[in-house]
Amino acid sequence: MAGHFGGDALTTTQPNSTALTLALRVSGLRVAYGPKIAVDGIDLEVREGEIYGLLGPNGAGKTSALSAIEGLLRPAAGDIVIGEIDARAHPLQAKARLGVQLQATSFHSSLTLVEIVRLYAGLYGVTLSSSLIRELLGEINLQNEASKRFRELSGGQQQRFSLLIATIHDPALVLLDEPTAGLDPQGRRQLWDRIERFRKEGRSILLTTHSMEEAQAVCDRVAIMDHGKILTVGTPAALIAAHRDDPKVRQAAHGEVTLEDVFIALTGRELRD
Amino acid sequence: MTDDITVPQGRSVAVPTWSSSLKVLLRADGTSQVRTPQALVINFALPLILLVASGLGKNSAALGGPQFRVSLALTVGLVSIGTIAYSLAIARDRDTGVLQRLRVTPAPTWTIMVSRWMVQLGAVLVMAMVVLVVAALFLGITLPPQDYLFTVLVALLGSAVFLSIGQAIVGLIASAETLNAAGRLLYVPLIALSVFGNTDRLGTTVEMVSRWSPGGCLETLLSAAMGASVWSGQSWGALFASFGYTVLFGVIGIRWFRWVSH
Repeated sequence: MAGHFGGDALTTTQPNSTALTLALRVSGLRVAYGPKIAVDGIDLEVREGEIYGLLGPNGAGKTSALSAIEGLLRPAAGDIVIGEIDARAHPLQAKARLGVQLQATSFHSSLTLVEIVRLYAGLYGVTLSSSLIRELLGEINLQNEASKRFRELSGGQQQRFSLLIATIHDPALVLLDEPTAGLDPQGRRQLWDRIERFRKEGRSILLTTHSMEEAQAVCDRVAIMDHGKILTVGTPAALIAAHRDDPKVRQAAHGEVTLEDVFIALTGRELRD
Repeated sequence: MTDDITVPQGRSVAVPTWSSSLKVLLRADGTSQVRTPQALVINFALPLILLVASGLGKNSAALGGPQFRVSLALTVGLVSIGTIAYSLAIARDRDTGVLQRLRVTPAPTWTIMVSRWMVQLGAVLVMAMVVLVVAALFLGITLPPQDYLFTVLVALLGSAVFLSIGQAIVGLIASAETLNAAGRLLYVPLIALSVFGNTDRLGTTVEMVSRWSPGGCLETLLSAAMGASVWSGQSWGALFASFGYTVLFGVIGIRWFRWVSH
């Protein structure tokens, strides 16, 4: 876990690296729904092998930003480059590099897990034998549920299965929209372990979350977003250090300053929709 | 930031061809169709019940001859598949996020919809054959061989008309619940208009409206295809009107279609 790395993303750097390479570069991204601006010209960069967290209250623009990167929304302005592919000019090539877990995911309700895996593998041009599919299901402890429908799984099982589908094609960049929402502590920890394994396999991860605990535990760097803008970016430890003496942070803190205190100080205490 | 990090190499970024995407989507959508009990009831039970029931009443002959019973059964099947089964399936998958999940894959978005249309066309083909076989074996309503071919072709054209109406409904109505209610409301008039195109019992205005409604045009074409009437200027008119309906409702359905319901 990144938190175990002392909050410094770069301690995960592997040998033979020579230059900073980006898995994702977003610049000047602007998303609007009619007159309402959901994302207001944000820039962000996710490095190869990095876990990057996008934090923000409800309505901050996190999911809209993610949706634009995923190709689900057409941005009003801005550039999105995935690896070296301009996602706006070559959306299908960009999608082929992305693994995506949406906030609310569902699959064909009549298909079994095996059939769903085969469908999504096929959509990414990956051919998997039945035995390999069962092996993959076994890796996420769903070998006995292979003949079940997605809706018949528990919340944790659904989350694990969605993540399997998101990474079925071995993507370089994985986008996770609130991946631990609704999970119990065991399920959450298990998911963090999987995310960490992804990083060890060399993937980059961009995730959104409401959980500061999750951001602190998992993310190498986090961006705090509100009203469509990115307010600050840094490692969790660096953000805490930078804002430790801010009077608003001190006011929010109950004892030792946490990332949540910084978050509350930057985004305010009022409830959002 | 100027820190060095490792660059993972060698990951595939190949985009599958549209034909391979369509193939896997067809397999999945076809399997879903076969496993949906409601679809089986709507696609087969309703037309067959109507095929038998339309010959039972004392006044049934006033609506048309034996071919009319077959064409009515086919029309009911087509309306059911196009306006009810198709639009509801799309709306439900939109509500639950199935369509969004498919859209983040590298499959071209048009393949997602075309696959659904092709599965519905397949369902229509099977339904038409079942109705024609049951009519021949159990009701003694037989056609010359070439008329079977024309009938199936007209059924496919009719399915295009009603699928486009279904597409327009799912394009204009956001939620599956509302669509379910609206689909049921539309279902009865669409069927009724098909029936009354053959009779002036409700007046010539109703007959005229009925005759040029999507269902009425289909009835006219099926009647000509099954040899119950000769191919005439009205048949040509019904053919052009059917193409017109397909284009009109198709454009509406595609123009206003949203992949998410909120």
